Amino acid sequence: MLDKRAEGASGPAHLQLVNVWKRFGEGERQTVAVRNVDLAIQPGEFVTLIGPSGCGKSTLFNMIAGLLPPDPDGSVVFKGQPQQDGALLGKIAFMPQRDLLFPWRTVLDNATLALEVEGMSKKAARQKAEALFPEFGLKGFEKHYPQQLSGGMRQRVALMRTFLFERDLILLDEPFGALDALTRSMMQRWLLDIWAKHKRTVLFITHDIDEAIFLGDKVVVMTARPGTIKCEETITLPRPRDASVVTTQEFMAIKRKLLAIVEEESMKTFAAAGAA
Amino acid sequence: MASRLSFLRSALPVAAALIGLLLLWQLGAMLFDVPTYILPRPGAIVATAIEKAGLLGSGLWITSVEAVLGFFVGTLIGLAAAVLMILAPPLEVALIPLVIVINSVPSIAFVPLVLIWFGLGIGSKVAIGALAVSFVVLLNALAGLKRPEADAINLMRSFGASRLGILWRLQLPAAMPSIVTGLRVGLARSTIAVIVAEMMGAYAGIGQIIYQSTAQVDYLTVWAAVFVASLGSLVLYGVLVAIDRKLVWWR
Amino acid sequence: MSGSPNALRRVLANPFAAIVIVALAWWIAVPLFKIEPRFLPPISVVFADGMSVWRDLAAGLWRTLLETVLGFLAGAILGIAFGVGFAYLRFLERAFFPIFVALQTVPVIAFGAIVVIWFGNTIMAKVVIALYLAFFPVAVNTLRGLETTDPQRIALMKSFGASGLQLFLKLALPTALPSIMIGLKLGISLSLAGAIVGEWFGDTVGLGVMLLQSLYFEQIPRVWVLIVACGALGTVLYGFLALIERRFVWWRPD
Repeated sequence: MLDKRAEGASGPAHLQLVNVWKRFGEGERQTVAVRNVDLAIQPGEFVTLIGPSGCGKSTLFNMIAGLLPPDPDGSVVFKGQPQQDGALLGKIAFMPQRDLLFPWRTVLDNATLALEVEGMSKKAARQKAEALFPEFGLKGFEKHYPQQLSGGMRQRVALMRTFLFERDLILLDEPFGALDALTRSMMQRWLLDIWAKHKRTVLFITHDIDEAIFLGDKVVVMTARPGTIKCEETITLPRPRDASVVTTQEFMAIKRKLLAIVEEESMKTFAAAGAA
Repeated sequence: MASRLSFLRSALPVAAALIGLLLLWQLGAMLFDVPTYILPRPGAIVATAIEKAGLLGSGLWITSVEAVLGFFVGTLIGLAAAVLMILAPPLEVALIPLVIVINSVPSIAFVPLVLIWFGLGIGSKVAIGALAVSFVVLLNALAGLKRPEADAINLMRSFGASRLGILWRLQLPAAMPSIVTGLRVGLARSTIAVIVAEMMGAYAGIGQIIYQSTAQVDYLTVWAAVFVASLGSLVLYGVLVAIDRKLVWWR
Repeated sequence: MSGSPNALRRVLANPFAAIVIVALAWWIAVPLFKIEPRFLPPISVVFADGMSVWRDLAAGLWRTLLETVLGFLAGAILGIAFGVGFAYLRFLERAFFPIFVALQTVPVIAFGAIVVIWFGNTIMAKVVIALYLAFFPVAVNTLRGLETTDPQRIALMKSFGASGLQLFLKLALPTALPSIMIGLKLGISLSLAGAIVGEWFGDTVGLGVMLLQSLYFEQIPRVWVLIVACGALGTVLYGFLALIERRFVWWRPD
């Protein structure tokens, strides 16, 4: 059964979640954070995931990164292999919500952190990173410290750190959540450029529907807690996409549809919070 | 150039205040004819310090060696213990009560003990200096090493970093500001502890000079010794501030 | 996995639990590892020795406590006053604060001999030494605390029409209090050390006096009695400040 699910319609999935659960606590006080999640991500695909706040997105994310073992009901299958506890650590490029740049490292040395952990020499890692600086709009800031940068620039450094950790699958957890609207839309277009050039598989978490549609090949909607997947929507908007795409009829139609679904789930969370 | 100017601008009022205070002291003592045993004049103190430069210099040298050695030994012990406790949490659970209890005793209360154990030579001074430093450094390092949040540790784990890798690349640098604070408090405590130990029993050193001069009612030499000891600990403090800038360059 | 070790750690970090545990360890370890009495006598011997001099010990504790507390209180009041003065009179701060930081590193205990010359063998001499030692950390931390006041919050208060005094009482002082508490806690331990050492320059009553006597006669159990007594006094004084802090200064700077 497992094999059959892994062989999806469009060839073998890069990452596959099969009946993934996560429960916290015991007995009466047990809470279910994530319930029965099935999801397949194809190589080179850009998948975005949206859901109401507190729906277990981050828990799911930590399980995919290998930081948290899923409950024994199901499994995380990576390149056709089910992964044991912690086996995914070091196999996936992971970028948490906050940039988590180290204040004692220059921008350049923050970017090379993952490479150094891998065992690459400092010199080789720096050379490799320096080549990426113009592309990430950070040329000339190599020797600066993170404290000296704006929010958008810090986020680009964190992204560069993630890209330099060359793994086929990149996990991004609301990377632009803390940025202002203008910077955010610039960063989105820029991310698509980078993605088109480097051809990586991306799973991108957000709570912004516009962002999810604009970036994704596929938008996955999660339900309110306990989180599970409510629906998947394939986005067929042509690429490359530019800013004007958000005003097209097609975009609006998708947005209307997804908004209704997300609204419904948000209301559930709201009602549950009110009742408690 | 700009930094030199700003240094001058900040140093100038301090120098003016210092000179003003010393002048006031000198003039006041002369005007009211204060006897030397109550408050000697700054000029006389400096003259005595120069006159007895040999004695005071050799005393200061010994005291400095003791204080610096004690500081290094204590820092090493404190840091090593903190790292071990972080790597093996049961060790922390077992030892923290002892650390808390010993740390609540003023370190100078251990002076008689180290004199009995290690004799009147340099050993007892290094021991008391190390004792005064190690617990402050241990407690500060322990708090600092625990400072990185779970998110940052998770990020390092996602890169496939080992326990030691996380310690070296994340926890140790993050702990640096806290460790440096511990070093600063520790240095002040250890110089005091060393001088006190010398006053209670020693063959040489600034503390011994102070003790003997007091017994001989030679107050000018007491003041000169205090003056020289102050200069010495100022220099040590300055070195530490420079080390601080070097270790916590990103602040 | 998360609950029990942390709970255990919290219990063990409690000073009272720590004392009981260390006493038990002392009781067991000395016969177990055959530790020489020269290094650590059995706890029973130390306890018996303490009981044999309990009158002197009680008198010494009381005297040293008095010296410490009087000196600490005076030093704390002066320290806070100077800290506030430095914060509001910038020219004073620029000229004198660096001298203060420097004086803090001076081995002040060396002044003990001179202070005793000034005040004689009175309690005053020890109080002054304890005062001097408590003063600097309190002054420095008061200034540092006041300096961290957020300019945006000052602007907000001013927009409400707050006066200078209101600004100080409602914003600057509460902002500085956690830092002042740090200074006070540093100061109280230094005051205790100052009082003990001050007694060495000539006195007949006090923990420091007894410590000096036990050194001359190499009475190791007595030295341990006094170490325990000094530790107990230090813990009580520090614990009292920590209680005040928990009750009245529970917020932390953000």
